[in-house]
Amino acid sequence: MGTVYISTDDTFIGKTDERLRVRAQKETLLDVPLIKVDGVVILGRATVSPAALIELLERKIPLSFMTGTGRFLGRLEPELNKNIFVRSAQWQAAGETDRSIHAVQGFIRGKLKNYRSTLLRAQREGIDGLEAGITRLEQATNPINQTSIIDALRGLEWAGSAAYFGHFGRLIRNGDFSFKTRCRRPPTDPVNALLSFGYALLGHDVQGAINIVGFDPYLGYLHTQRYGRPSLALDLMEEFRPLVVDAMVLSAINRKALTPSDFADEPVSHAVSLTDEGRRKFLRLYEQKKQSKFKHPVMGRQCTYQEAFEIQARLLAKYLMSETEQYPPLVLR
Amino acid sequence: MIEADYIPIAALNQYAYCPHRCWRMFCAGEFIDNQYTLEGTGLHDRVHTLGSNHREETWQVRAIWLKSDRYGLIGKSDLIEETDGQLCPVEYKRGHRGEFDNDELQVCAQALCLEDMTQTTITQGFVYYAQSHQRQPVEISPALREDAIATITAVRTLLHTGTMPPPVYTKRCRGCSLYAQCLPQAATKVGRYKETL
Ligand code: SF4
Repeated sequence: MGTVYISTDDTFIGKTDERLRVRAQKETLLDVPLIKVDGVVILGRATVSPAALIELLERKIPLSFMTGTGRFLGRLEPELNKNIFVRSAQWQAAGETDRSIHAVQGFIRGKLKNYRSTLLRAQREGIDGLEAGITRLEQATNPINQTSIIDALRGLEWAGSAAYFGHFGRLIRNGDFSFKTRCRRPPTDPVNALLSFGYALLGHDVQGAINIVGFDPYLGYLHTQRYGRPSLALDLMEEFRPLVVDAMVLSAINRKALTPSDFADEPVSHAVSLTDEGRRKFLRLYEQKKQSKFKHPVMGRQCTYQEAFEIQARLLAKYLMSETEQYPPLVLR
Repeated sequence: MIEADYIPIAALNQYAYCPHRCWRMFCAGEFIDNQYTLEGTGLHDRVHTLGSNHREETWQVRAIWLKSDRYGLIGKSDLIEETDGQLCPVEYKRGHRGEFDNDELQVCAQALCLEDMTQTTITQGFVYYAQSHQRQPVEISPALREDAIATITAVRTLLHTGTMPPPVYTKRCRGCSLYAQCLPQAATKVGRYKETL
């Protein structure tokens, strides 16, 4: 099971028997049984055959379109899950309600606790100068459960993220790379380019999980409605950012799986992006990360991150539908 | 009674197996095929091809609609047989006879429809288990009828209100195709969970 990423321009995506076949310039780049595919992401330009489109819809496999640099363009979504009970519970909790506040507390607490674990782990591995960041993260995390105004929670999230990214550069142990501050749109250094690209891929996956469970992706609690923004996916993504993207970006750099030659920068704007080869490497690493296993602290069993996206979405649905007393964000040590 | 008030016979079987499962399938519309249901459907495709024929002294008709105004039931039969003027519903199942007797309920509901449609009394039905090629006779006893009628009422309430019966973790969950959607142990596990710092 996995997501198929198509990052070569001008490919043709077709279907032969029960298989998805990707071709470019008369060469077959990929030929996989559809049963093993749970998502398709096209980065750049591609043609999809009508037969393949119908097959993807019937098998409820989402197809996302992104630019070569990972900016999300749109998505072909299989028929929406018919579970109106989930959507209605989601809408009932909209605004500043007890449930939305609890959920937002969970998303932020999950993210900041996972940030803290990242710094603590680095500290155990011998990196100095992280104490201030850890302390500030704790100061942002401690009041979360006592804070019941969503804007104030956004403030804590901001403070915690600033503390973390203020120290993120120290986690890089490869002289070829450095990180000063988080910058997006466009990223102007390789590390930021990787983070942005990784978050875009994560967004695709979390949105897929949210759709399977039956949520309305556009109604969020932390990220409130703005037209065309999958707010709930952004909400549920928070706890996964450090666990999936930051962790794999750091390991790719520190283990030298990516080198400066995997990046190119534009003249004038200095926007940095991955080369074709670099992007292929990154996609492979991201997929590996998603398929890596860990023990889910609540469910008490092994699962992959890919499965965890759906488990967390289901746990959120259960909380909103009053099946459970709390929403437990995924917090890993 | 309006058309929408008719209860699908298949829902009774699911309800008897697990009310939460019935809610997921018939209220929330979460019918996800897994290997079992797919195999089951394949079997039903064959069974559900309209046709009638004679087998020795028995007249058989396949895949006809069954409906009861009296009980507000609707569904499709796999096979109806007639021997010496006595009608008898036969329900096809993949695999062998399970530990749970919800299949009998379904046969009984078909019998109730047949009685209503033909003004006769049905005394017996069968469940045919494809894997063991065995026919299990089902006596349409007063106790089974009562059970079926009570289930019809419960399912009608469920479909009308849409109120979710909570999932209850039992050994049936192991064979349930909706396990990954339902996560029946989640409420207990979340309740016990203490987040670490
Ligand atoms: S997993 Fe168990 S509780 Fe959930 S629907 Fe199936 S049988 Fe019912």
